[in-house]
Amino acid sequence: MRALLADKSFAATLGACVLAILLLAMFGGAGPLTPYVVNAIGQLAAFAILAVSLDLIWGYLGILSLGHGLFFAIGGYVAAMHLLKHSYEVTSVVPDFMQFMGWREFPLYWAGLEHAPYALVLGLGLAALVAFVFGYVSFRSKVGGVYFAIISQALVYVAMLLMFRNDTGFGGNNGMTGFSVVFGWPMGAPGTLLGLALASLVALVIVLLGCRLLVTSRVGRLMVATRDDEVRLRSLGFGTLWLKLAVWCGSAVIAAIAGMLYVPQVGIINPRVLAPELSIEIAVWVAVGGRGYLSGAVIGAFVVNALKFWLSTAAPEAWPFILSGLVVLVVLVFPNGLLDIAGLKLRPRWFRSTAGQVP
Amino acid sequence: MTSYSRRHFLKSTAGAVAATGVSSLSMPAFIRSASAADVVKLGCLFSSSGTMANVEGRLNYVIQMAADELNAAGGVNGKTVQVVTSDPASDWPLYAQIGRQMLQQEKVSALFGCWTSVSRKSVLPVVEQADGLLFYPLHFEGDENSKNVVYVNSPPASSVLPAVDYLMSDDGVTAKRFFMLGSDYVWPRTINKQLKAYFKSKGIPDSALKEEYVPLGFSNFQTLVNQIRAFADEPGGQPVVILTTVGSSIPDFFREFINQGIKSTDVPVLGLDVVEADLEGLDTAPLVGHLNCWAYLQQAAGPANERFLKDWSAYVDAKKAPFKGDVVIDPMVSAYDSVHLWALAAKKAGSFEVPQVRAAFDGISFDCPSGYKIKMTAENNYVYRGVFIGSVNEKQGFDILWQSEDTPKPVPFSPFS
Amino acid sequence: MRPLFTLVCCLAALLSAQAASAQAIERSAVVAGLCGTAAAGGEAASHLLALAGTTNAEDVSWSLSLTQAVLNRQLKCPAAGPGVVDDGRAPRDAATLAPAPLPPSARTPVLNLRNRGALDLAQAALTLRAGADAGVRRGALGVLTRRAADVPLPVFEQAAAAETDPSLKAEIENTAAIAALNSPDMAKGLDALERLSATRTRRVQTQIAALRDDPAYAGDRTFKAAVDSALTRVEGGIRIGNMLAALYNGLSFASILFMAAIGLSIIFGLMGVINLAQGELIMIGAYVTWLTQEVLRAALPGLVDYYLLVAIVPAFLVTALIGVALEVTILRHLYRRPLMSLLATWAISLFLINAVRLGFGTQNLQFATPFYVAGGVPVIGDFIVTWNRLFAIAFAAVTLGLTWFVVQRTGLGLDIRAVTQNRDMAGCIGIPTRRVDMLAFGLGSGLAGLAGLSLSPIYNVNPQMGANFIIDAFMVVVLGGVGTIGGTLIAALGVGQINVLIEPFWGAVAAKVIVLFLIIGFLQFRPEGLFSAKGRRR
Repeated sequence: MRALLADKSFAATLGACVLAILLLAMFGGAGPLTPYVVNAIGQLAAFAILAVSLDLIWGYLGILSLGHGLFFAIGGYVAAMHLLKHSYEVTSVVPDFMQFMGWREFPLYWAGLEHAPYALVLGLGLAALVAFVFGYVSFRSKVGGVYFAIISQALVYVAMLLMFRNDTGFGGNNGMTGFSVVFGWPMGAPGTLLGLALASLVALVIVLLGCRLLVTSRVGRLMVATRDDEVRLRSLGFGTLWLKLAVWCGSAVIAAIAGMLYVPQVGIINPRVLAPELSIEIAVWVAVGGRGYLSGAVIGAFVVNALKFWLSTAAPEAWPFILSGLVVLVVLVFPNGLLDIAGLKLRPRWFRSTAGQVP
Repeated sequence: MTSYSRRHFLKSTAGAVAATGVSSLSMPAFIRSASAADVVKLGCLFSSSGTMANVEGRLNYVIQMAADELNAAGGVNGKTVQVVTSDPASDWPLYAQIGRQMLQQEKVSALFGCWTSVSRKSVLPVVEQADGLLFYPLHFEGDENSKNVVYVNSPPASSVLPAVDYLMSDDGVTAKRFFMLGSDYVWPRTINKQLKAYFKSKGIPDSALKEEYVPLGFSNFQTLVNQIRAFADEPGGQPVVILTTVGSSIPDFFREFINQGIKSTDVPVLGLDVVEADLEGLDTAPLVGHLNCWAYLQQAAGPANERFLKDWSAYVDAKKAPFKGDVVIDPMVSAYDSVHLWALAAKKAGSFEVPQVRAAFDGISFDCPSGYKIKMTAENNYVYRGVFIGSVNEKQGFDILWQSEDTPKPVPFSPFS
Repeated sequence: MRPLFTLVCCLAALLSAQAASAQAIERSAVVAGLCGTAAAGGEAASHLLALAGTTNAEDVSWSLSLTQAVLNRQLKCPAAGPGVVDDGRAPRDAATLAPAPLPPSARTPVLNLRNRGALDLAQAALTLRAGADAGVRRGALGVLTRRAADVPLPVFEQAAAAETDPSLKAEIENTAAIAALNSPDMAKGLDALERLSATRTRRVQTQIAALRDDPAYAGDRTFKAAVDSALTRVEGGIRIGNMLAALYNGLSFASILFMAAIGLSIIFGLMGVINLAQGELIMIGAYVTWLTQEVLRAALPGLVDYYLLVAIVPAFLVTALIGVALEVTILRHLYRRPLMSLLATWAISLFLINAVRLGFGTQNLQFATPFYVAGGVPVIGDFIVTWNRLFAIAFAAVTLGLTWFVVQRTGLGLDIRAVTQNRDMAGCIGIPTRRVDMLAFGLGSGLAGLAGLSLSPIYNVNPQMGANFIIDAFMVVVLGGVGTIGGTLIAALGVGQINVLIEPFWGAVAAKVIVLFLIIGFLQFRPEGLFSAKGRRR
């Protein structure tokens, strides 16, 4: 436990999350913690999980994926399918997209999705499978760096184009909406929102602890070594293919978890989550918060998204300018993001020596 | 900044998780105008950025203009009407998010918003759950009847079918074959589904129908216009294109149509979502004669329209709005009608509570700028509107080719589906 | 159609026999019809068409001017009384042509599609009779040829008799002969068939195929053989046309891809920088083109039509300068961190989109359509060469030539190639790599500006337009092999052609998806792309 918390910024972030859980559990829905605010915190936590998943491969393995929205969307779509099927069982209302496509019954691949455990396994398994196939062919032929970034972006773009088609069978541009029940609770009721927000925060804490365990282990050192000089590592006799592949798949699964938590909280999913811009934004959260630090990913996701929530109603004109300015500032002046500004880069020596050199 | 102590940081991050949420999130700037007791709020859900900005943006101004009219006449039930605007940025989930914020945090009495059916579908669960009211100013695919949505514009049975009837009549072009081209989403899909059933009932064989979809924002119509030419050259009678693409795909389509030299007298296009704003930037001389159908066209006759056109032009000048003062499109008039319908109902009910306002809809009527007296009944939240068929002219506008005698009864669920 | 045709013929015969005194009454009846209901307007239109066959030249010119007035919305109809023509000259009575006051609340009749079609035909027929020069008359004949069966025969007879241009006269007689396709006279029918099949379009194919239902097809062997051979000829022409159309569409799409990708290819090859703002530089190029048009309109209205050519220099310079500025202020500091430069260029693109949005608004810009990018010309079968696409293709070809020249034949090009192949070595032998970077970035950005210019007649120009190109352009660059102009060209041609071939079968989206999957798959086996500079893989 001590080793886990040796990094002060990590300990602080984790502590903040636990405090938020306690606050929500005690006062959720009352006072300033209105259902709206509770819901917003829940969404932010889902985004933070997504940011951690990207940081794991970018910050620690040096692989920038500009297609992480794909795995987020896989989790989200499977969750949405489960919610629709579940709602259909309770209310017998045929989902919109099936009505206008003229379908009387669910397509075959929806079978069994009304069972939550199966949906969970399917969502995570599918994300891992897609990640494995794409990762295996890419890493095997040593596609990396900017090439990997571009190709992963093209992949998420292809997925978006496919999902925009109504014939693909997932609601097209409309996506899926109109869920009425979550685990038997009415969708959108204050209690449900509180429960989902708490679940997201708990998941965030678990993901953070798990990732921390990983990166402080021997495997974590290998990851950093791969990031810093993969050629040298291979000539020393360490095969990097399976290491990269395993972490890449794990990262995809974490992103899918984030998607599963996100969808019931916003009540809609559509192909916009597959837009290349969103996937780039995830990298922006990580870069702003501090790449290569789990706490940085969380802080970045919270700060950027909270700013976005707030400014897109308070000063919609100014928001894009603030965001682009922030990115340029971070990229040029603070390579470790907000952690740089706060002067909070505390790392074991083996790590620090190369921090900031992340390509 | 670097002298920040770690302890301090620990505290501030701890606070950040809860506090950023609590203080900054829940306090968007528009709440600063304190909710005085003598104010009633109306919320707008129209994007001023993103793909829909060009058409949706102007509706924010129309709502404000209508609210100013109400206030100039002494307000509603003794209260001043205040309009709360926002920017959902053409991002469908954000419509739901902001709608929730408006209803729960702002306590608006009614929402006015959405252009695409996608955005309406995403807001729908929010208004139903909070038992709010959403006035929806666009013509749409029908097949929906929520007690929490007022469908101010026409469902297809009372707008699209008359236009198709006209094309099939001898007064039109005796159309026998139909090429249905649309953007790939709920509105075109549903419209075309209903049209196919309708054509079947009229004895038109499947071989005379063709249906194609393009993604939203699609621009390269070369191959599709080639297909239309091929379709037009086949035997079997007069071909017609029923166009349900939206947004920038409309001018892109017409540009390719002109370049391949097809005239309205060869293959007329019935553009169901085409408004004056879509023709900006096009030389419309080669497009003269193509058709659209709406519940209002700018050339509608009558004093109500003259006044509306004059007011809008003056309003644009006064507010320096980034839109043309001399272009008025149907959804603007429908949005204007929405505010007045709400005010009439609220006055009749003597209350702003949604159940009372809803109950008061029965029997209210309003002199719409279209020249028709539009009305509502107890049966549902649909509005009786007139129907116009317009024909593109040289001046990037529409001439009125045909208009209905009266306001047909709106039919929410199409019998053809 | 038949009864109407007979009716029109009878009317023509009647009208040509009309006495001069009765004419005035007829004329006012026609004008009243045009001012009346849709049905009355239709009758008036067929009157006007029939008048195109009279011998009376004065009748013809009156009909032509009235038809044009209606189509140009210059006929004003008062609530009561005769219609008045108001075409900028002194208003006059439409029937008598005597000066008449413009009535105060006159209505302009709105034409429905049926009457518009009839009036278009009448206008063409009348123009063939009374058009001022041969070019106008030939244009009118083109309209009549498409609907030859609806035109009264006297129109062709009179026009051919009066025609002074011998080649046009032959064309008129040809059209007249084609109009006799369904004539009961077998010889005329065969002649028409022969002449008709010279035009190899689907429309003609449909027309000829319909003859198989003619009883003569089953009964008469010569007729059957003639129909079948004509049909074969036409179908052959259509096939060639379709093939050419596919090639042309592919080429046109390839030219767009190439223009979007060529600047990226230079920048990426040289510096390994993924410039996500390239799409926005394309957008800015299009905006500069628009500004050039507006400046010309204000200062030199006579040259407005040539704005696309005038804008070449400013579009290149403005975007090149923006590129240089970006390189110097931001990207220069990030060459060792390519992934960070990727984020930085994304931020720049976000900034540019929103800056343009604030400055110009979100609406599509209005471009004039100069004569050289409007319309198209049919070549063979149903293959139409559209001028705007041809412009883009030609523009891409010229850009390719110039870029190749700069890279292969100039000092800067030599430096760029040296730095691309081995940056450190190039630095050692004294090439100022920083300056080369800056200039090359400027060149790449300027090429994006030119892409914006060449796309403005094809696509909508608005702040978001850049996003449409960026991923496709990157795929082309990566597929072609980084830093090779030839590779980019081949990749663009291949991607464009495959896209166009797939599109008719599965639709535009599926085509795009399949092509992207093919590229992604291909890159797994050959990550360096089709062509690449030899050397150690970076």
